[in-house]
Amino acid sequence: MTKLTEQTFSCDEKDILQEVMNIAFGQATAELAEVIDIFVILSVPYIRVIKGSDLPGYLLKEMDGSPVVNLIEQNFIGKFSGQALLIFPSGAEKELIKLFNQENEAETYGVDIDTLERETLIEVGNILIGACIGKITELLKDFVTYDPPRLLQQDLSQSTPSQFPIDKDSFAISIRTVFRFEQQNVEGYLFLITRQRSVQWLKKALQTFLESFM
Amino acid sequence: MIFAQIFDTINNGLLVIDRDMTVKYWNRWMAVHSGISSDKIVGTSLFSHFPALDRPNFRRNCKSVFQFGNFCYFSQRLHKHIFPMPAQGSLADCFDYMQQSCSIGPLRNQNNEIELLYISVQDVTEVVSYQKKLIAMTNTDQLTGVYNRNYMESHLVREIDRCRRYDHTMSLLMIDVDLFKTINDNYGHPCGDYALKTICERFMANIRKSDSLIRYGGDEFCIIMPETPGKDAYRVAEIVRRSICDRPITFAGVTFSVTISVGVATIDRNSDDVESMLKKADEALYCAKQSGRNSVT
Repeated sequence: MTKLTEQTFSCDEKDILQEVMNIAFGQATAELAEVIDIFVILSVPYIRVIKGSDLPGYLLKEMDGSPVVNLIEQNFIGKFSGQALLIFPSGAEKELIKLFNQENEAETYGVDIDTLERETLIEVGNILIGACIGKITELLKDFVTYDPPRLLQQDLSQSTPSQFPIDKDSFAISIRTVFRFEQQNVEGYLFLITRQRSVQWLKKALQTFLESFM
Repeated sequence: MIFAQIFDTINNGLLVIDRDMTVKYWNRWMAVHSGISSDKIVGTSLFSHFPALDRPNFRRNCKSVFQFGNFCYFSQRLHKHIFPMPAQGSLADCFDYMQQSCSIGPLRNQNNEIELLYISVQDVTEVVSYQKKLIAMTNTDQLTGVYNRNYMESHLVREIDRCRRYDHTMSLLMIDVDLFKTINDNYGHPCGDYALKTICERFMANIRKSDSLIRYGGDEFCIIMPETPGKDAYRVAEIVRRSICDRPITFAGVTFSVTISVGVATIDRNSDDVESMLKKADEALYCAKQSGRNSVT
């Protein structure tokens, strides 16, 4: 897998990409605190190029032993296109409801707790994904639009590549970050999967980004 | 010119607001369905016309769109509607309000800064009404109109889960009509069907709204009683049993007596799952049958 990364990006490009991600996620952290009143800690992103068909196995390994997950999937479309996968271990939805003060909203909305949990996951996912992608594309001078997010509950150890919402023949640039909510012990993983056709644009955008500092 | 026409003729609600929640544009669809004309609302605060919108969830999502340029979605499943508007046509009988699926997106100026956002409103009432009908059909027994086994399986999982989570209790009644086959054999199937319907009506008259009556099999029924300890469930089982044996059933001039046997099971939060709950209730029912029928165990 490391070999694929090296084939796709030169050392310099990988460094710039890493730097863009660091800045973007730093800004996202700061602005998320303002928008949702919750302090989110995003870890230093880890970038890797992998084959689409290897992705479920890779995710399972990264998820560190909790195979049953809530997976929020959202496509983003721009010059930088791809798919964001936000993964929470199963059970996190109960903590997220507390965090977003939506515990008492089941009655307000007149819906059952399962619906509220699902919808909270989708809402949180939408904002987190929007913040991260928004900041990356802003730095790279692109503007993206999004499809509505979808929530899948999945057992990673059971899923075969064909069940997984990823084109198995594609290459995926996986940008992994772990984020943690300060007030609650909830951790999640964000993977940005971009297709090969975004790579050429990405290389150029990274170059432009670098030149703006020279 | 063209876009202005689309804005006003499209079969969707569209409005544009700024950072202060002041309405900038309000299309004809919004005017028609809300009863608020464009000249009344443009230039005023959206919240002054729709105070219920002024809540953390809505503000948070708007803020996110302004800040990150992403899109936010208000699903019908959670929100039912964002703008209270009457449902249209024949759907008005089933829905107090038009069911809506809404989204918010950013609008950028020439410098690519987000100054405004749009909200689109889609009427999904018809889809929701089909969904409701489909759900009702998959969960209902055609003959008696009570819940069917399909519903029971998912409902029982949820109830047991809730008991564990909140440390509550629940009970289950498993009911069998004694010698039901003889009713069919002696008086014919229409009579048997009528008896089942009558039995269900009497059950329904004696249980709470929060209890669920399920036709489990041909002449087997099940009542799920949330928040009910065994003692109370037993009492209800007795009432239900008597409601059947005390009054004979008359169909097409024929009068006959019916009795039922009832098995009662109460959850053990530490160990019970759907299977073990049903097994316990089944065993209790078997004992009731063994003890001479028309009884509760």
